[in-house]
Amino acid sequence: MSLENPFQDPLRFERRVPECAMVIFGANGDLTKRKLLPALYRLAYERRLDAGFAVLGISRTPMSDDEFREKMLASVKEFLEDSPFDTDVWAAFAQGIFYMAGNFDDGALFPALDARLKEINAARHTGGNVLFYLSAQPSQYIPIAQGIAAANVGKAESGWRRIVIEKPFGHDLASARTLSNELHSAFQESEVYRIDHYLGKETVQNILALRFGNGIFEPLWNRRYVNHVQITAAESIGVEGRGAYYQEAGALRDMIQNHLSQVLATIAMEPSATFRPDSVRDERSKLLRSIRVMKPDEVLRNTVSGQYGPAHIGGEDVPGFRQEQGVKPEAQTDTYAAVTFLVDNWRWAGVPFYLRSGKRLPKRVTEIAIQFNAAPLAIFNGDETTTAPNLLILRIQPEEGISLKFLSKRPGAGMKLRPVSMDFNYGSSFGERSPSAYETLLLDAIIGDATLYTRQDMVEASWAVVDAIQHVWDETKFDFPNYGAGTWGPKASDDMLARRGHVWRQP
Amino acid sequence: MGSAGGTIAPDRILHDMADLWVSLGKEGEGDAGVLRACSMTLVVAAEESDDAQAIGETLAALMPEHPSRAIVIRFRAEDRRGLAARVFAQCWMPFGHRQQICCEQIEITASDASVPDLEAVVLPLTVPDLPVILWCRSPRLFELPAFSELAAIAQKVVLDSAAFADPAAALGVMNSAASAGRSLADLSWTRLTRWRELIAQIFENRAQLANLPLVSHILIAHRAAATPATAYYLAAWLLDGLAQVGAHPRVEFRSDGGEPAWRLSLVELSAQGRPDAIASIALTEGAAAEVKAGGLVSKALLPALNDYALMREELSIPGRDPAFERALAGAAKLALS
Repeated sequence: MSLENPFQDPLRFERRVPECAMVIFGANGDLTKRKLLPALYRLAYERRLDAGFAVLGISRTPMSDDEFREKMLASVKEFLEDSPFDTDVWAAFAQGIFYMAGNFDDGALFPALDARLKEINAARHTGGNVLFYLSAQPSQYIPIAQGIAAANVGKAESGWRRIVIEKPFGHDLASARTLSNELHSAFQESEVYRIDHYLGKETVQNILALRFGNGIFEPLWNRRYVNHVQITAAESIGVEGRGAYYQEAGALRDMIQNHLSQVLATIAMEPSATFRPDSVRDERSKLLRSIRVMKPDEVLRNTVSGQYGPAHIGGEDVPGFRQEQGVKPEAQTDTYAAVTFLVDNWRWAGVPFYLRSGKRLPKRVTEIAIQFNAAPLAIFNGDETTTAPNLLILRIQPEEGISLKFLSKRPGAGMKLRPVSMDFNYGSSFGERSPSAYETLLLDAIIGDATLYTRQDMVEASWAVVDAIQHVWDETKFDFPNYGAGTWGPKASDDMLARRGHVWRQP
Repeated sequence: MGSAGGTIAPDRILHDMADLWVSLGKEGEGDAGVLRACSMTLVVAAEESDDAQAIGETLAALMPEHPSRAIVIRFRAEDRRGLAARVFAQCWMPFGHRQQICCEQIEITASDASVPDLEAVVLPLTVPDLPVILWCRSPRLFELPAFSELAAIAQKVVLDSAAFADPAAALGVMNSAASAGRSLADLSWTRLTRWRELIAQIFENRAQLANLPLVSHILIAHRAAATPATAYYLAAWLLDGLAQVGAHPRVEFRSDGGEPAWRLSLVELSAQGRPDAIASIALTEGAAAEVKAGGLVSKALLPALNDYALMREELSIPGRDPAFERALAGAAKLALS
């Protein structure tokens, strides 16, 4: 019988974290420097990692362990947010950082990796547990998966092996399936962790707490009471030097296929029977498969593609997308996408879910607005404010929180109503520092909790919906640019909602 | 808003509080107004000589995370019955926000002779449907015969055995109260959370966990002349855990001297016949600790926690804490044996 740690105290201690080594492919890249190492250091600072936790970075650049440690130290100091740096904690953590140079296409890299992992395991007691993290270019995912499979590094003699991959999970349904097949040559699906950092955000997780931890919302959470749902992910910046990449992706693929579809699934899924990873993911997957796939003739009525043009904002000239570096002057890329999704199940039949995402919009904000049906009878005389619908706003960023808007009597004589807001602000209500999405998700992967990770069937379901739109868009010549930088997107987007008698909420 | 004379009427205090919210609402800029937040009633029982400013600062720091109606009762060692009260609000403006968040605070001054009257005053002032936590900052008050009636209002009473002159006797008194059904917390136990978490983390590693049944000796070093409650708690908790894996080691307490007295300086688990300890945690400089296990050495921070940090942790556990209750029983047994 295996021993259980008798010292755990779930009431006071954070979650149990097993020993492991983490292999980062693309260790010299931006993601490693900006997100992964700062998140790992922060977990070490919070004593969340095992003392023997090890990081093995791999990239093409020749470097010694010490040089890599120096580089990572500089990155942690630069990108550590909202957290102190402690020299002693870093010194102990850095003892577990290692590096090896190699080309991911080179078959010799992977047997060498296997040997290095065995050395690290012996020195740092990592129990044979290895978390592979693909922080490399997406084009290198398949060669890495093939290398791991050929050298059998994905199979553990003892302990576990898992792999985390970053989006994009393919660029359409067919390529997503090809990628999955390659990953499955080295790993079981249960060992593949597809990261969607939106799902690691506290407020997205709080949607589950709000829906399934409270009794009062569930009876209202359906077509009978919900009029429509708006999900907005707006960015005020442009493509910021990523023009060449972005012109191949676009807002539909970059945001709606993954982040916003996952948010939609979290908002609309059926209650999960348990909070076990597969139970929650089954419900998310079912919801994604319930989104109606548009027929070609439905696409242009229910979607809007947009691209920003040049503008003058705050006394400064900002370029249009086609003027951005690396972007073709005739690019047809969508820097703005808005879609109307209908969910074909009993709970949501007929309720439109409007999703929009864009660059160079007036502000950076991500939120979900659930608009409830108006009171069936307006018994109070007055202007339109006396019939304003109730809104439940779930703010994901920048100010995470929840607001409920409802009508209240204005003080004084007469029965005049005005809308008021009941606010819950995540930061100020709990005062604690929220862990970054990467801290949460990395810890989940080490613990083996895949609840917040995307499964292959979910990826395929959302690609099926998005592919149907993308095919029509690819065959359409849009008259771009069609919105000015600093505005809330093309007029066609307002028209799309107006056809159903709705208007976009201004976040 | 003080109440005159030697008595106070809860209705009057509640009325004063309602007025307070109206005036805060009027002061609020534009439509933003103030946001009232409350997740519990926190009753603080303190001596009149206790540092009022420090208590106020601790409560203000706690409010953003544990918004509460705070009722601070300041006791005077006096035979004449007398009570007085005032109400005010603690408000803060979260960075970058337009709206103030406010919590209400009631301050009651009471003589020792008035303790029997307090239950009738405090009970109507508690917020309905929310937990009541009583933080008793003085051992003397906890031992007043009538204090148990006030304590009965609370779901949990928080004490600090480090404030008692005799740690062993304190553990005995607390264990008796806990055995009688009172839900207690001891800040001496709270001070151990980081130590305990580090120990638990060491044995999450399966290679280290396999050594646990071999532990035959526990050494706990501290700074006090007499063994402090923290050392008894840690020993009791370790013995309880080790018994679950079939180990029944000997416990040794050692005084290394220094300040603060309750602070531990070393915990070491070792096995007979092995030259190196299975695991050890030793305070080095300042807040740093050196953690050794399986030939690996790592560093951790074990800062001395102030009242705010300790209460912040305790307030996040409004119900019973079974691990503490087992440790209290074990610690009292060790201390009184």
